[in-house]
Amino acid sequence: MENVIAAAPHLTPAWAVVPFVGYLFLIAMLPLVASRLWESNLSKLVLALVAGIPPVVYLVGQTHDGPALLLRTGFDYLAFMALLGALFAISGGICLRGALVGTPAVNTAFLAAGAVLASVIGTTGASALLIRPLLRANAHRPRATHLVVFFIFIVSNAGGLLTPLGDPPLFLGFLRGVPFTWTLRLLPAWALVNGALLVLFAAFDQLSFVRQRGKPRPSRPSDPALEVGPLRVEGGLNLVWLLGIVGVVFATGMLAAPMAGHPHLLTLLQVAGMTLFAGLSWITTSRDLRQVNRFSWAPMIEVATIFLGVFVTMIPALSFLEQRGASLGITQPWQFFWTSGALSSVLDNAPTYLTFASLAVGVTDGGTGVVAAGGIRALVSHPTGAQLLAAVSCGAVMMGAVTYIGNGPNFMVKAIAEQHRVRTPSFFGYVGWSGSILLPLFALVSHLFF
Amino acid sequence: MIKEALVCLEGSPSSDAATRLATTIASELGASLVGLAIVDEPDIRAGTATGIGGSSFKHERDEALLADARSRAADSLALFERRCREAKVLARSLEIVGRPAASILKEMETRDLTIIGRDANFRFETESDDAATREAILHHAARPVLLVPEETDGAIKKEVVVAYDGSRAAKRAIASFAASGLAPRRNIHVATVDDNGESAWEMASAGVKAFAELGVAAEPHNIVSALSNIDALFRFSNEIGAGLIVMGAFAHNRLAQLFHGSVTRGLVERATTPLYLQH
Repeated sequence: MENVIAAAPHLTPAWAVVPFVGYLFLIAMLPLVASRLWESNLSKLVLALVAGIPPVVYLVGQTHDGPALLLRTGFDYLAFMALLGALFAISGGICLRGALVGTPAVNTAFLAAGAVLASVIGTTGASALLIRPLLRANAHRPRATHLVVFFIFIVSNAGGLLTPLGDPPLFLGFLRGVPFTWTLRLLPAWALVNGALLVLFAAFDQLSFVRQRGKPRPSRPSDPALEVGPLRVEGGLNLVWLLGIVGVVFATGMLAAPMAGHPHLLTLLQVAGMTLFAGLSWITTSRDLRQVNRFSWAPMIEVATIFLGVFVTMIPALSFLEQRGASLGITQPWQFFWTSGALSSVLDNAPTYLTFASLAVGVTDGGTGVVAAGGIRALVSHPTGAQLLAAVSCGAVMMGAVTYIGNGPNFMVKAIAEQHRVRTPSFFGYVGWSGSILLPLFALVSHLFF
Repeated sequence: MIKEALVCLEGSPSSDAATRLATTIASELGASLVGLAIVDEPDIRAGTATGIGGSSFKHERDEALLADARSRAADSLALFERRCREAKVLARSLEIVGRPAASILKEMETRDLTIIGRDANFRFETESDDAATREAILHHAARPVLLVPEETDGAIKKEVVVAYDGSRAAKRAIASFAASGLAPRRNIHVATVDDNGESAWEMASAGVKAFAELGVAAEPHNIVSALSNIDALFRFSNEIGAGLIVMGAFAHNRLAQLFHGSVTRGLVERATTPLYLQH
């Protein structure tokens, strides 16, 4: 009997989830209720550290594999931030210059290119690269609100579904063992949502273009140096460094099996590769170009600080879901799609993805311990697990577009648009747009794929 | 008599119309003007849901909008000073950082009249229109407010309509208008709209009597019309070529306004002549 008790797996208590839930709640609420305090990265760091204390104490004191889990999570965090930082540095060194007139055809082509680019340089990089040229091209339009809204839908969210580079949730999946090319199976859903959004946008923009014809040109700040000459890419060498990042991620995926015994070494190689290409970008890009892009490390420092707390607090929460997932009543792919999506709308989609992927592990495992032992990696080789993971991926990535806080670039695009004197919808006004355009589309995705 | 009037500025054609009318009134009465521009920093910096990584972008956006608001306030005040110099009116400028409605309400406490462009948007950095500031001022102002539509030509014509319903706000409007110095040399028409012509006449006559007690001559008019009160008043105003409508603002409580609609709101939104309003 004593042997049976000793062999029984340690069950994570429900209270261990509280720091994770509380932390996510606070990072959603503090910008609203204590905006001055939240501006300081030191405040964020203090919150992350305070929120991280209970999970660390619990993991070290109450579980036998806690220190190992903490170490693994630390390496995941390092790799995650290295990718985000490298993509941020590289995309911040590319600038689109030249005369571009925002007609409906040009705008639609621009968003279509953004949808593809989002899966290559990430939704944040694509958004930072494309939003200012698009706003400049449409500076003559009295109303450009719909441009901002559709840009967030397509470039800042739905476009990033195809690769782990596209959106942080998918990269977290990659770090947990989901193969680099696995997300390509989401191509039909990507094509349906982005295609439908582009068609809707083209119709909307055409209507708006015709209605606004002849109305006075609005007074918006302009920079003639950026708006003359043919359309061209400056800082093009960064595209080479970008390919380097793709290569590093791809190679890491290929080396995962041969280096299965040395996962931390593999992570360090990955981080070194990304740091190398980010460093090359930093050295080879002129300061003037970064100034034109208003490049600053401040957003990345903020992301690193907040995600420090996310990574630590989520360890017990994910264990809890992996162990008890089957008993929570969410078992069908469509349920995973909608619940992961609903939470991604109001919380950041990266931790939400991991939460529901862990839940999918618990559901697929069904108490056998086979899938649970392999974690998220094991889902892809299990028919039901793969379907659940696809639903979680689509829900987390696509529904990040439902509110301004669902995905990192959403608010960045809104803020940049407002700096260009483009009126953007309020929080609930934006939810009105996303509710009427995106929700019917998501219902179609749910019906067709899940 | 109006000695000092507050002119609220935000750089739109609406507040320029208000400035032009203010200089006319100041010239007529020998009054001085105070131009008020507001930098709405609290609304610009107000907390908002930002998502992870958003607060540094919000900070950058706030600074850009604040710089824009400061620049626009400086431009508005410069234009105001130029208009006053051209009209040879004594004027000074005031720039306040704060919430527009609260700032205007505080500054108007010590001025005899506050002049505002009807379509002025004091929260132009964050809102596409700003009826909320206007309504807050009209609901809480202890002093009279002159709302100026953009179409106003910069002068107050000889004919003035006083919309009178016997409410306390309407009585206060008569008292403050009589004391403003704008009533002499103008023809005052006290009008009451009612389904019953006789009671409308009695009401209008009571308004005329109130003017008479303050030494101002006025003429009563009863308006019986199938049109709404607002349309009937506008029609009468147009018929006599009125250049100003005087009335009590938001005479009924908010619950009554919810059920019966607000005549004040309707008049404010559709007026093409200046409105002299007293809460």
